[in-house]
Amino acid sequence: MNYDIVIIGSGITGASIARELSRYKLNIAVLDKASELPAGASRANSSMIHGGFDDKPGTAKAKFCVPGNKLWHKLKDELDVHIDECGSFVCAFNDDEIKHLELLLSQGKANGAPGVEIVSGDELRKREPNVSPEIVAALWSPEAAIINNFEAVNAMIESAQINGAKLFLETQVTGLLFDDKGGIRGVATNKGDFTAPIVINAGGTHAGEIASWAGDSSFKIIPTKGEYFLLDRVAGTFVTSFLFSCPSKAGKGITVLRTAEGNLMAGPTATEQEDPEDRATTPEGLAEVLKGARKLVPNFPVNMNITTFAGVRANTESGDFEIRALTKPRGFINAAGIKSPGFTSSPAIAQYIAELIREELSDRVKLTPNEKFIPERRNVPRFLYLNMDERKKLAEKDPAYAQIVCRCETVTEGQVIEAIRRGARTITAVKMMTRAGTGRCQGGFCCPRVAEILSRELNIPLEEITRHGGGSKLLVGKTKEFLLNKEGK
Amino acid sequence: MSEERKFICVSCPLGCGLTVSLNDSGEVVKVEGNTCPRGESYARSEVKDPRRVFASTVRVKGGKLPVCPIRSKTPAPKGKLFEIAEEVAKLEVNAPLKIGQVLIHNVCGTDVDIVASRDLAAV
Amino acid sequence: MNNNIDVLIIGAGPAGVAAGIGAKKEGAQNVVVLERDWDLGGILQQCIHPGFGLRTFKEELTGPEYMHRFIQQAHEVGVEFRTNTMVFQIDKESNTVWTMNKERGIEALNPKAIVLTMGCRERPLGAIRIPGTRPSGIYTAGTAQRFVNMEGYMPGKRAVILGSGDIGLIMARRMIWEGAEVEGVYEVMSWPGGLRRNIAQCLDDYGIPFHLKTTVTKIHGQDRLEGVTVAQVDDHMTPIKGTERFIECDTLLLAIGLIPENELSRMAGIEIHKVTGGPVVNDLLQTTNPAVFAAGNVVIVYDLVDNVSDEGLIAGANAAKFALGRIPKDAKRIPVKGGENVRLYSPQFVTGEADTTIFMRVTHPIEQACKVFAEPGLYSQRLRYARPGEMNEVKIKAEQIRNLPDLSEIVIDIQPV
Repeated sequence: MNYDIVIIGSGITGASIARELSRYKLNIAVLDKASELPAGASRANSSMIHGGFDDKPGTAKAKFCVPGNKLWHKLKDELDVHIDECGSFVCAFNDDEIKHLELLLSQGKANGAPGVEIVSGDELRKREPNVSPEIVAALWSPEAAIINNFEAVNAMIESAQINGAKLFLETQVTGLLFDDKGGIRGVATNKGDFTAPIVINAGGTHAGEIASWAGDSSFKIIPTKGEYFLLDRVAGTFVTSFLFSCPSKAGKGITVLRTAEGNLMAGPTATEQEDPEDRATTPEGLAEVLKGARKLVPNFPVNMNITTFAGVRANTESGDFEIRALTKPRGFINAAGIKSPGFTSSPAIAQYIAELIREELSDRVKLTPNEKFIPERRNVPRFLYLNMDERKKLAEKDPAYAQIVCRCETVTEGQVIEAIRRGARTITAVKMMTRAGTGRCQGGFCCPRVAEILSRELNIPLEEITRHGGGSKLLVGKTKEFLLNKEGK
Repeated sequence: MSEERKFICVSCPLGCGLTVSLNDSGEVVKVEGNTCPRGESYARSEVKDPRRVFASTVRVKGGKLPVCPIRSKTPAPKGKLFEIAEEVAKLEVNAPLKIGQVLIHNVCGTDVDIVASRDLAAV
Repeated sequence: MNNNIDVLIIGAGPAGVAAGIGAKKEGAQNVVVLERDWDLGGILQQCIHPGFGLRTFKEELTGPEYMHRFIQQAHEVGVEFRTNTMVFQIDKESNTVWTMNKERGIEALNPKAIVLTMGCRERPLGAIRIPGTRPSGIYTAGTAQRFVNMEGYMPGKRAVILGSGDIGLIMARRMIWEGAEVEGVYEVMSWPGGLRRNIAQCLDDYGIPFHLKTTVTKIHGQDRLEGVTVAQVDDHMTPIKGTERFIECDTLLLAIGLIPENELSRMAGIEIHKVTGGPVVNDLLQTTNPAVFAAGNVVIVYDLVDNVSDEGLIAGANAAKFALGRIPKDAKRIPVKGGENVRLYSPQFVTGEADTTIFMRVTHPIEQACKVFAEPGLYSQRLRYARPGEMNEVKIKAEQIRNLPDLSEIVIDIQPV
């Protein structure tokens, strides 16, 4: 299979790059080992669109964060992605921390982050009455926002697909291919070779290993686990914006926020580990999150918890993004070490990658604008947020929209079928695209129903349906057959 | 040798703790701890011939559901339950089914019938 | 055309079907029960084991058999059922009920009175925050029960059951009968969650070990569950170091409690009780919205379906009375208070318009003779014991309330004697 561009990884970085490059007449292949998107750190993160004050001027993070923030405020309409433009507060408990706020304020100004200012604790409490009375001041960033990260990644990749890019899931890159001039020729995968004169490494926590295959050992990825609590939407009125603690060396500290869909959330920890795939939550991590959450919001209603989860972020030794085109092998581009503010920065990083290709690799691939580029993409209809007339119209057009599948999040059968039409093959894929199973019963009600619809629509036996691909089957067979075929029978 | 045996009565949700005294020849001489006559008869049966209601499903062709719940009409010998489970597993019936309809007569020679425990319409 | 419904009942489980019967018997003309499933009966259709209705029918029926009798009776008295019809919104001010159905699309109903009978749901894994991975193979016992009993599929080969609620115990035996293994049942408390007879006939009969004061502390496996770590807990429910044990299993079934299902009640602006998780109700089973009544597990989670049906009959009858203008607007509202060892109870208010039963649960077991009572001097009954897993009742006659015109509160309690 021959392409112009192969992108390894379809997290928010890879997906944004794919979408940006789909503005040009290019054959693009996006590969991801997961069975559904988003999978890695793009699934399990704080869903923050950062204000741009947190990054040291001069770093890559500072360079991309503010432009990325601006792009998201525009992309939300273009790509039909939920963003809560709620702003963020960094909370200070003492004079030392106020000094830190002042540093952040000056960084924000240097980075061009608009509207950043320091407010008193009382002003914060006017907006957020449940925060600790001990908070003395806070840094307010009006442009900070919270995004539905599940939707955002799917929106980006769908937009790229609408414009011709090809997505290959369950496709794991196992090696790189080189031409006889020492340039890149493509990648080898479990599904065969994908050749292309340009390969972009957006491999998240695996990006360091992939870069090493290209002979690049200039950076090392430090997988860093972040654990979270996610609470019922009933608790979503507790906090209505994004609250940071003052950062420590380990990370930005525990935050408390209301997600774009109205859940209360707290996290993350920042635990360095060897294994890039270890997403298990731990007693220590969860205890740390709870402690941090209670410091910010003393009555944090943890009894309304609906799930805990962990993501593994691609931290780097430099602490900065690692974005560049290698001179050897030519055609290999790293978009690596994309951790916080990675989600925010990704559309700006994508534009920069296009620039890199235009300026440094035009001998390998020419960027000719695709006049047919369609910037708009619509989400799977969100029944929950429609008004009654819109709901009626939808149900009249397609009766599947008059059947609730997920009662917690009011997701209809029509939405599940639409997600399947757009490529969902697993319970988790449907969840990412429709929110079915993200509510307070965590799929207890809808999982069997979604499995049935997947089985029916895809015409595959129910016992073959998986939670998230691989060996994650829901069932082990049919009753009776199971009993009669048991060993020893 | 006389003996004392303890059971939890399963006849009703109260779950009384029963103590059964047996004489040298294994006959029940006394039942204590029950709060109703059902407890006494449960204890006597439990010593001599323990029985349970078996409840499961059978495979159905052409029904609104792929399986239909069934039960043993009366309690079946406890020692035969797994044998009955296998007999029931082998069975496949055609919809429609009526509640109480006998699906297996005298299952495993126990003199107990297996009956459908709901109506199940055909599709 | 839809505005001539006298009593609209949401959910055709045991409470809803009984409410329909109660409303018709009280004289309401148009009584409609909405059911989201294609079938009537609610969760009892998947509870295929015997154990239901001993008090009502003097014999132990399976769930489907129990419902069959009530559904027949409901048809006889002229209750209208609409299946495949889900209520997805109730408007606060107007009490408009929004329904959806594939044939009828989206409709607004404006009944004179509403009865909430949506039942309850199972507590999910997230509620207890067990560390570890998130593989497939973790189900609430009820979801597994649906797979096995309604759809004919096996959720796994070797199960560990966390929590000792009755559905978990019943599913232990059910899995065994279908040829699976059940390694054990683990309960974090020092007493069982379910009935003792279910421990006897579902666990002891099959030699399934039952571990009290033990819980799952870690989940293992990336794709499918590969095992769990269990550990004993101390009196503060903290895992005790050194007692951890890894158990290989491909299935974890959760029977860690039930929660009344009140999304719609909240939308309708009804006050939800912090402890029961159900609507605050009076003895007429009227919520804080006078046109809305509630019965069954949506109010408080019962042990016995007989109680659920009884409460359904009462709520249906009172909703009919409301629709017919026969509930006095100036009814009393005497608060019920619980004593120290009373964890939850319902109703929370008494009007004295009818005889009433107050259902309650103790916080801690009392394993000795004790007394359940209602002050001032309204009720007293000796008990052999009182356990959290088994509800207790206080019965008060309307006449007793009438005879105490200055009664300002009722206190219920259970104490050792």
